[in-house]
Amino acid sequence: MTGTLVSLAILLPLGGSVVLLFAGKRLPEPLAGVIATLTVAGAFGCAAVAAVDFLTGAGEALTVRWFDWMPAFGVDASLGWDRLSALMTLVVTGVGALIHLYSIGYMKGDARFGRFFTYLNLFIASMLILVLADNFAMLFVGWELVGLCSYLLISFWFERETAAAAGKKAFIVNRVGDVGFIVALMVVFAHFGSFRFDTVFESAPEVLTTGTATAIGLLLLVGAAGKSAQLPLYVWLPDAMEGPTPVSALIHAATMVTAGVYMVARTGAIFGMAPIAAGTVAVVGAATALYAATIAVAQTDIKRVLAYSTISQLGYMFMGVGAAAYVAGVFHLMTHSFFKALLFLGAGSVIHGMHGEQDMAKMGGLRRKMPATFATMTIAWLAISGIPPLAGFWSKDEILGTVFERGGAWTVLWGVGLLTALLTAFYMTRMMWLTFFGEPRWDDGVHPHESPAVMTIPLLALAGLSVVGGLVNTPFRTTLEHFLDPVFDAVRLAHVPTGSTAVALAGASVIAALIGIGLAALRYRDRVPDETGFAWRLMGRGYYVDDVYGQVFARSGKLAAAWLAFRFDARGIDGAVEGMGALTRKTGGWLRPIQTGFVRTSAAGVVLGAVALLGWFLWRGGL
Amino acid sequence: MNMNLLAVAPEVIVVVAVVALLMIDVQWRPGPVWWAIAAAMGIAGATAAVALQWVDYRGADAASFFSDMIAIDGFGAFAGMVIFPLAGLGLMAAWPLIRSQGGRGAEFVVLVLIAATGAHLMAAAANLIMLFVGLEVFSISLYVLAGFTRERVDADEAALKYFLLGAVASAIFLYGIALVYASTGTTSIGGIATYLRSTILLRPGVLMAGMAMLLVGLAFKVSAAPFHMWAPDVYQGAPGGVTGFLAAGAKVAGFAAMARVLAVALGGRIDDWAPAVAVLAAVSIVLGTLLALVQSDLKRMLAYSSVAHAGFILTALVAGANGIPDMWFYVATYAVQVLAAFTVASVVSGATQGRAPLSDYTGLASRSPWLAGMLGLLMLAMAGIPLTAGFVGKAAVFRSAIDADYLWLVIVGVVSAVAGLFFYLRVIVLMYMQAADEESGHIPVPGGARVVLVAVGVLTVLIGVVPWPLLTWLRDALPL
Repeated sequence: MTGTLVSLAILLPLGGSVVLLFAGKRLPEPLAGVIATLTVAGAFGCAAVAAVDFLTGAGEALTVRWFDWMPAFGVDASLGWDRLSALMTLVVTGVGALIHLYSIGYMKGDARFGRFFTYLNLFIASMLILVLADNFAMLFVGWELVGLCSYLLISFWFERETAAAAGKKAFIVNRVGDVGFIVALMVVFAHFGSFRFDTVFESAPEVLTTGTATAIGLLLLVGAAGKSAQLPLYVWLPDAMEGPTPVSALIHAATMVTAGVYMVARTGAIFGMAPIAAGTVAVVGAATALYAATIAVAQTDIKRVLAYSTISQLGYMFMGVGAAAYVAGVFHLMTHSFFKALLFLGAGSVIHGMHGEQDMAKMGGLRRKMPATFATMTIAWLAISGIPPLAGFWSKDEILGTVFERGGAWTVLWGVGLLTALLTAFYMTRMMWLTFFGEPRWDDGVHPHESPAVMTIPLLALAGLSVVGGLVNTPFRTTLEHFLDPVFDAVRLAHVPTGSTAVALAGASVIAALIGIGLAALRYRDRVPDETGFAWRLMGRGYYVDDVYGQVFARSGKLAAAWLAFRFDARGIDGAVEGMGALTRKTGGWLRPIQTGFVRTSAAGVVLGAVALLGWFLWRGGL
Repeated sequence: MNMNLLAVAPEVIVVVAVVALLMIDVQWRPGPVWWAIAAAMGIAGATAAVALQWVDYRGADAASFFSDMIAIDGFGAFAGMVIFPLAGLGLMAAWPLIRSQGGRGAEFVVLVLIAATGAHLMAAAANLIMLFVGLEVFSISLYVLAGFTRERVDADEAALKYFLLGAVASAIFLYGIALVYASTGTTSIGGIATYLRSTILLRPGVLMAGMAMLLVGLAFKVSAAPFHMWAPDVYQGAPGGVTGFLAAGAKVAGFAAMARVLAVALGGRIDDWAPAVAVLAAVSIVLGTLLALVQSDLKRMLAYSSVAHAGFILTALVAGANGIPDMWFYVATYAVQVLAAFTVASVVSGATQGRAPLSDYTGLASRSPWLAGMLGLLMLAMAGIPLTAGFVGKAAVFRSAIDADYLWLVIVGVVSAVAGLFFYLRVIVLMYMQAADEESGHIPVPGGARVVLVAVGVLTVLIGVVPWPLLTWLRDALPL
């Protein structure tokens, strides 16, 4: 029963995308979106019913076997249903369904309306395959499908050259990470002879040496950094803004970027044996968090602020899972998906109302024109800034607290995290002020208006989640902690601080948030300050990292490709192939005269062959 | 006498259909629709009968009936399940040719049906004499079919060549039977196998000569080099509509008989014949590939490619009984592919025509994208590109040969398969990358041909993507 529901959770959106692929063009406009939304909502329903047992404490992890897939590698196409995948499934389908609903309004009138929902459904199905996989091979299938869907959706408006380029960039950068992931899978298979999670994790302590575990961990980190946009592979995510805004919301909140965090949490057994790899994860996370936050401060495009903010928040999650605070990392993943989806959809609503304007310099004063958007965005702003009792506070504080509690060098990471919290509050306040407060700076002819209900209802739902979502795991009530206990029991290394330490740490991060909000409010209260100095430009361009990548990797890559294609392939490979073809043809032509077509020649062939065969057999038989 | 009507049911059903068709045709001249109905009923009945045999006898040892003349086992039943539907597909593909022959069309249908019973008799024979009877029934029908369009001289020439050379091969085969009988005292396939396993022959010369001659006769039927020279002339001369059945049927029946004779009757002497078969395979693969490269006619090219394919199938047989499931996999998938490829040739170049110059196919993709797509798929399948049944077939026969320690043969096969890409891909290049002649227009595809092509296309891709069910099915059912 539970197994059927879990399978249905994947098959519903998958089926939806297949149906829409063939029928999407013929369906009238809202219907395609309604079907897509219903399949994802249905998947959420299935997952919720299947997860009831876990909530009552009666549920056992189970495996749903679909079919023999690669018998040679001992790999079945099968799903694993445990508490972690249940939580991920609920987040993905829940937030995903709201984003689907919102898209019906946002994509209204688009020429490829049906096709958009085909991809959107496939995206959800791919992410579900990823989080429900019970072996590395299935995980990899989901991993790659997610990459494909992001490519399709980011470049959905492929008529725009920038969108097409952004899609390619996302795909290529992800492939760089995939190399690490694939090599990690090879090492895993070479040592365990299996791709199954339970086999690998159970026998890891006997099979792996610390060195091997470190190698696997670092390789997995390369893959995770690609998919979750961490240093140095984050460059694709800001450009992914070229896709329609609901796609950004989906990529940033429910699917795709959370895959890396999930994967590190899932493979906690390996990271637990490799302190160096786990530490590297945390350091990469902390560095990314701070780095991206400084860039977000100087962005003028509302969606780019949010993009760098996602990278920064993902840094927190990496810090958490790297510090073995798996519950905290996954907790932040969950709350972040609520308020980041809300922020993106809110930004989409603003862009929609502003007729496609994304530059915050041309906004301002929107709070009266778009009251629902403003109210919900305010909640998201406070949630991400870490103001209690909203969702972001609890999860961020749990990560920071756990990191602090580990002591030693980890305290430095905690400091970085605290500084990032201050910056986060600052740039989010800046965004809110430039957008909603102050005097209108609209272009002529722009008449902002509130978005239709199909768009504001998802905003309200997400706002509700952003308020209460954090309450599932507070120092007073550790529901989520208990819920995920069976998954992470074996790999628990870190602890949440208690008593006065906890209060002091919470106080510190609240104060940091308030300082950030206060500074920004002062600075942007009644004017738009000039932000064109050198430091602002440096941060605005993301420290020119993208430009350097473009010069170093993209240019040299193109040169190498040109050499391979026009020199090596055209002369070397083609030459060899054509040479062989010419040689065989020549031999064939030389043989051709034998085939005269005369019956006597053919008969001679038969007789000669017969004599030869007779000769052989008689020689064997010794007559 | 041990009788079991199920053993002869397929043949009886087809013969009843043939007699009914002939009598109705003589009496009322009802026209092609009734020929089709009679043929369809005969083929459906025979297919049902072999399917019943399959259900009852697969995986078991052969049971023989009628004084040890006809066997029922998974082997014969599977052969029937390939041969009878193949005859149906062949008739569908040939339907424009049949209609063009007016009243004589009924004879064509009858000949195809009789050829099918002969082919199945070859596969189900428990006795060399029975096998020879089946061989002759089958071959004589094909001789007539090859020259069916009497008005075209090159078709008559093809038929006569086929007949003359076929008669020589049959004679050699018959002499082989006599020599084997002389040495073992029986013509029963099971009897020969038992005798050879239980007896040490001090002077095996007579048996050896017999084996050589049996091998010659069968190698001729499957057009293995150097007994292949009839194939290009006959395939090119015969009318387009019939060539597919000619090529596909000969392969199925010929290899069924070859497996019975070599792997079963002479299974005990595998060390003597396997090297000879391996050499035949290598020569066929290399010669077929090289000569296919220089052809300028699609049907002739397919003829040489069928020589190469005969070599690939022989590759499975060097493993003896162990290679039989893989052999059947290759034979069955290749037979439908070659039938479909000749069907395309008959649509493009004409059902009654012999020649199919490659220039007919330039720019076919822009004129008839559907036909070009199907022919392209078939070319890829024959070349052994992955995700088609052709790839799985090659992989399977190569594995059989490796298990039997014939690595050199596999190397020859793989290298030739790569070289073979040139002529298969040449057709695709012609169709897709060169402009069509100005006056040539769209080519209408007859309904029958359309059914054949869709069925074969779907099967080829389906089996190519999910080969395990068929492979394991065959392995479980054919213990021999």
